Amino acid sequence: MSKFKKDDGKKLPGVNTASLPDIVFMLLFFFMVATTSKEVDPTVEVDQPTGTKTTDLTPYKQRSEIDFLYLGEPRNPARSVDFKMGYALSLDNVVQPTADELYSTNAVSQWKKDKFEQKPAKMKAPIEAVITCVKADKGAPSGLIFDIRKELQNIDALTIAYAVRDNGNI
Amino acid sequence: MAKRDIQEINAGSMADIAFLLLIFFLVTTTMDKDQAYIRNIPKKIEVTTPPIDVEQRNILAIKANNQNQLMVRNEIIGDPDKISEKIVEFYRENEKSNDVNNNSPMYTRVSMKEIEDNIKRIEIEAESLEAQDADAAMIEFKFNQLGEWEKKKNALKLYGANELPEIHFQANIRIEVQSQTQYSLFAKIQTEIEEAIFELRDDEAKRIFGESYGTIKTRYASDEEPADKSKLDLLDILYPARIIEVTPKN
Repeated sequence: MSKFKKDDGKKLPGVNTASLPDIVFMLLFFFMVATTSKEVDPTVEVDQPTGTKTTDLTPYKQRSEIDFLYLGEPRNPARSVDFKMGYALSLDNVVQPTADELYSTNAVSQWKKDKFEQKPAKMKAPIEAVITCVKADKGAPSGLIFDIRKELQNIDALTIAYAVRDNGNI
Repeated sequence: MAKRDIQEINAGSMADIAFLLLIFFLVTTTMDKDQAYIRNIPKKIEVTTPPIDVEQRNILAIKANNQNQLMVRNEIIGDPDKISEKIVEFYRENEKSNDVNNNSPMYTRVSMKEIEDNIKRIEIEAESLEAQDADAAMIEFKFNQLGEWEKKKNALKLYGANELPEIHFQANIRIEVQSQTQYSLFAKIQTEIEEAIFELRDDEAKRIFGESYGTIKTRYASDEEPADKSKLDLLDILYPARIIEVTPKN
């Protein structure tokens, strides 16, 4: 008597994939909860410096009490000659020159004011408390940061945040 | 009657749909958090009187020039990691006892009796102002003062000693950069300040409450318990972070 069954022409049953969608949905929900939506790529190149003991801005984002502006070299290198010290501001993806004697328009304060007025009435924090987060490139000159700061001071937007990449407890 | 089987819906492609959604979320989202140092900009006011002189010992000036060289309290510093040590020294040197010979800010020590006397005095002043129908701003100012003394009273109760040490009210950290200083160095200075303040408060939190400052802070951020609030207030009174960012001249 043979110990082995003979192949009697029956096919191997397929792997039951009925629970595959469940597994994938689980993954999906994990990523939906654990991540936040990516912001649009700014039109300027920003490589942030690193730092520790920072404040997490997620709660402010959730209450939409924060506006981001980017300060970096324009992605189109041909344009960089147009700007003061080669650095440009990106306000909602519109490249703006930083304030200097050539451009008397105060783009930052105008932009911030518009943003503030567009916010729905019920989520309005006073303008002093609405954070303006400056995401600046490592090499950006501090003088430009203070130009931005001055424009914010003029319209009483009195909270500023200097963005860095947190490198944890190293 | 003929019995008919209800056809099952083919769920074989459900996984494909879920994968599609999954990949969409993988592509459009990011795990990065936005991290930053939050600072207040002073309100713009017209002043006619000249500013009050601040004693040199109360100023900790961190200067950075156009060539990204650093100077802390008129001493050239090569390694930016040293800044936090200087800040800790600035707060610590006179904390236990005042010594006029060093160059750090003086501490005042207030007892419970003094605090209560002050509260009484300000209450009386505020009442008389209200009776006179004084300027609303004046009355508000008095009430703010009162609030600050009440805070100190709670802080001293929590501190558990006879006296509450307080750094000189003018003591400040001053960041003076020039217009060509790189942002990375400016951010580094901010990091060092934040680290020094954290270290000071953390040591004190461990000594008084037996837990780290970071733990209290994150717990307060999620639960907002009043007990944690008063703990944070006490640490803030002991080591206030008064940071002045000086606008560079052209």
